[in-house]
Amino acid sequence: MSKGILTDITKCIGCLKCVSACKEAHNLEMDVPRIWQKNDGLSADNWTSIVRRPEDHYVRKQCRHCIEPACVSVCPVGALNKTKLGPVIYDSDKCLGCRYCMMACPYGIPRYDWSKAVPHVEKCILCYDRIVKGQQPACTEACPQHATIFGDRSELLRIAHKRIKENPGKYINKVWGEHEVGGTSVMYLSDIDLGFLSYPTKLGNQPMPEKTATAMESVPFAFVGMGGVMLGLNWIIRRRMELSKEQKKEKDSSDE
Amino acid sequence: MNRVRNTKLILWLIAGFAAAVALNRFVFGLGVTTNLNDKTPWGLWIGFDVMAGVALAAGGFVITAIFYMLKREEFHPLVKPAVLTAFLGYLAVIFSLLVDLGLPWNIWHMIIYWNPHSPLFEVGWCVMLYTTVLLLEFSPTPLEEFSRYAKIRNFLMKFRFPFVLLGIMLSTLHQSSLGSLFLIMPFKLYPLWYTGILPIEFFISAVALGLMMVAFESLVSHWLYKRKPETNLIAKLCRVVVWVLATYFLVKIIDIISAGKFELIFNGSWQSNLFIAEVLISTVIPAVLFAFPRLSRNNKVQWTGSFMVIFGVVLNRIDVGGLAMLGATGDSYTPLWTEIAISLGIISIAALVFLFAIEHFHVWDLRPEDPESNPHNLPSFDYTSHTWLGTPSTSNITKHTLAFVISFALGMALMPGKHLHSKGIDNIKVKPATGIDTLYINGNRDNQFVKFTHQAHIEWLRTHKVPQFRSDVFQNISGATNDSCGICHHLNLPGEKLSNCWECHTSMYAQVDFFNHDWHTSNTGANLKCNDCHQPGINRTDQSAKKCTSCHPAYKFTVNKKVSAKTYYTLSYTNAMHNLCVSCHLIESKKLKNKPHLVECSTCHKTQLPENLITGLKWKIKVPHYNNVILPDVKNVSSTNK
Repeated sequence: MSKGILTDITKCIGCLKCVSACKEAHNLEMDVPRIWQKNDGLSADNWTSIVRRPEDHYVRKQCRHCIEPACVSVCPVGALNKTKLGPVIYDSDKCLGCRYCMMACPYGIPRYDWSKAVPHVEKCILCYDRIVKGQQPACTEACPQHATIFGDRSELLRIAHKRIKENPGKYINKVWGEHEVGGTSVMYLSDIDLGFLSYPTKLGNQPMPEKTATAMESVPFAFVGMGGVMLGLNWIIRRRMELSKEQKKEKDSSDE
Repeated sequence: MNRVRNTKLILWLIAGFAAAVALNRFVFGLGVTTNLNDKTPWGLWIGFDVMAGVALAAGGFVITAIFYMLKREEFHPLVKPAVLTAFLGYLAVIFSLLVDLGLPWNIWHMIIYWNPHSPLFEVGWCVMLYTTVLLLEFSPTPLEEFSRYAKIRNFLMKFRFPFVLLGIMLSTLHQSSLGSLFLIMPFKLYPLWYTGILPIEFFISAVALGLMMVAFESLVSHWLYKRKPETNLIAKLCRVVVWVLATYFLVKIIDIISAGKFELIFNGSWQSNLFIAEVLISTVIPAVLFAFPRLSRNNKVQWTGSFMVIFGVVLNRIDVGGLAMLGATGDSYTPLWTEIAISLGIISIAALVFLFAIEHFHVWDLRPEDPESNPHNLPSFDYTSHTWLGTPSTSNITKHTLAFVISFALGMALMPGKHLHSKGIDNIKVKPATGIDTLYINGNRDNQFVKFTHQAHIEWLRTHKVPQFRSDVFQNISGATNDSCGICHHLNLPGEKLSNCWECHTSMYAQVDFFNHDWHTSNTGANLKCNDCHQPGINRTDQSAKKCTSCHPAYKFTVNKKVSAKTYYTLSYTNAMHNLCVSCHLIESKKLKNKPHLVECSTCHKTQLPENLITGLKWKIKVPHYNNVILPDVKNVSSTNK
């Protein structure tokens, strides 16, 4: 039942209707218009953006809604949650503003309200409120080219593989987001390499939360172990001291 | 005691700066007071204040372990100062967290909302619990001063051993979990620092740092109060630290070699140089220095060695906490002076509390003389003997308060009033359209131009009737004929160049207020006073204001009979562009056979000028074909644009 988005880079004409639809749907403030940003265009007021690549390629950037999200696993208060429907949603009431999610995201997606005195983390929530009602996200609805489509993740994967099969040579034989970091809900079909969307151009297939899992599992052992070692050392040293005292006494008494 | 007094004065000065910054940070947010941004969300406050702060507080658990657990009684004089340092260190960490967190009033949420998968959750709980334990460990010392709390003190003293044990266990977790924080960022952290055993490395280096922190703190405080340094005790610490540092070095090197990253150390990049410097300063040089028994007993070597370990390990925390990530994120974060001020300020306040505690409680076996207890404030006039006793010297409290207030005011004055907007966005300056007959409209401000043949459009408007559906726009301007400039350049501001549409259509998608209130009231603009437009006695709103047409008769709108200020809204940029061009071209596309078909979005949005036109706009080279239309030679245009 997990939902997702499939974006076909070859179909996108860069009209940015998805961007404005997103702004409208989430009442985001208007900022300086679209490409006037040096970086990828995502900001606290832009949850999705179009990244221009050479030769008229337009790549839509948004939260990937990983199956096993790094941001969810690191949030100390559980303000970020992976829902059963697929979206990773944010609860601003719980958030304490540590920005660990921003540090942990391999795609560098979450943004922060730096200019506000009461800041929150801002990112795409895959229009969770609309999905719950059975609607599709604002961006996929607005796309005039059907370059970005919404549906069940398994269904989208089937469509993607079908397209690759039917148009040999048109696409790179890879669905971005099928396996990376354990799979993502937002996937891409492309004729150019999309490595620039993440920090390392090649992400492994291991889900990010597993990287800390070993360390976190060994916490109780380290805690009890250190206590045990300390008590043990203490006992040995005390015993030795007692023994040496007794020996001294014995020595003293024998001397007498 | 001049040393102490002057040190305190400096500390108060720094604290004043920090207080000013903190106030600004809470009023205006993080964006104004820091250089943090979306690529570098953790900066100096996490890397130094929190990460290094916790590490610097490691002296508490190391020395209590040595004293209580390993029963090395000779270290007794170092225990109380070490516990006090650790306690203040943790308080400092909590304070800097309060400054750094976006929503610090939600910090208690960690108690009720649990996410045990998060290393930060573990860190948070360790901070909370260990600070409490440290308070319980240290509180017998101040309680000693008050006899009525003797019962509480005795109770705490009874449980001292379990407290110490718990403190050591929590510290083990905490020091290592700071390393676990970064396990999830293999893609950001430079491989020389990233390793799966980061928690273990953090723990070992924290032990070394803790030992050296105790030594350094003892050296500094004894120097401040002009006492004989505890050279022999410190020498013992130095000998222990050699083994710890050797272990740290071996673990680090073996890990790097086994992961096949050895070549990275000497590849000459700034990261590799930083790594070499860090390892040399934190580990190799001090370990070699202290390995010689004669040197480890030398006071000067103790100063240098302990400082090097502290500096090196703190550098390690800063590297892992952000510095070594800058390569991957491509950001150029450098802390703003405000961030440094907060970091130093929190340390200064902690140091002031430390000095206070040393002077007022039995932290040392022999309490140092309190400079305040010898009042320099003699009465200037003795009434009994009627003699003048001379001008009294300013009391220390006055001096310190003055220092604090002055630096607070200075800090407020120096606060940067910059970038209130989100850091995710960098405005690119808009260039006006260039060319005379052919305009190159850089509407998207991304060097992708739309070519607009000016003369051809004027000709067309002269010979054609304005289409009916456009009349609402074109006929809004009274007296406009078909060929008047105002048809397209409607309501142009004075001095506006050609088609700087963006000056009015400032937003891409939203309607904007065309009426510039600031310009009308400013001295350099219309210089009008409130009552020039608004009627006195009524609420000053756009409804109660004078109509624009009463001053600007040329702006008479014929369609909207009732003209209010509300009418002066301009379309969004996209709407303006699309309405003005696209709507005509949609109708006329059949007739305009050779002209661009604006029905296709790609006609405008995907076209690109040749490279030499985009860069520099020097107009030196003849522009060849462009979209099958031969461009004019635009050699002589540049002067008219300026």
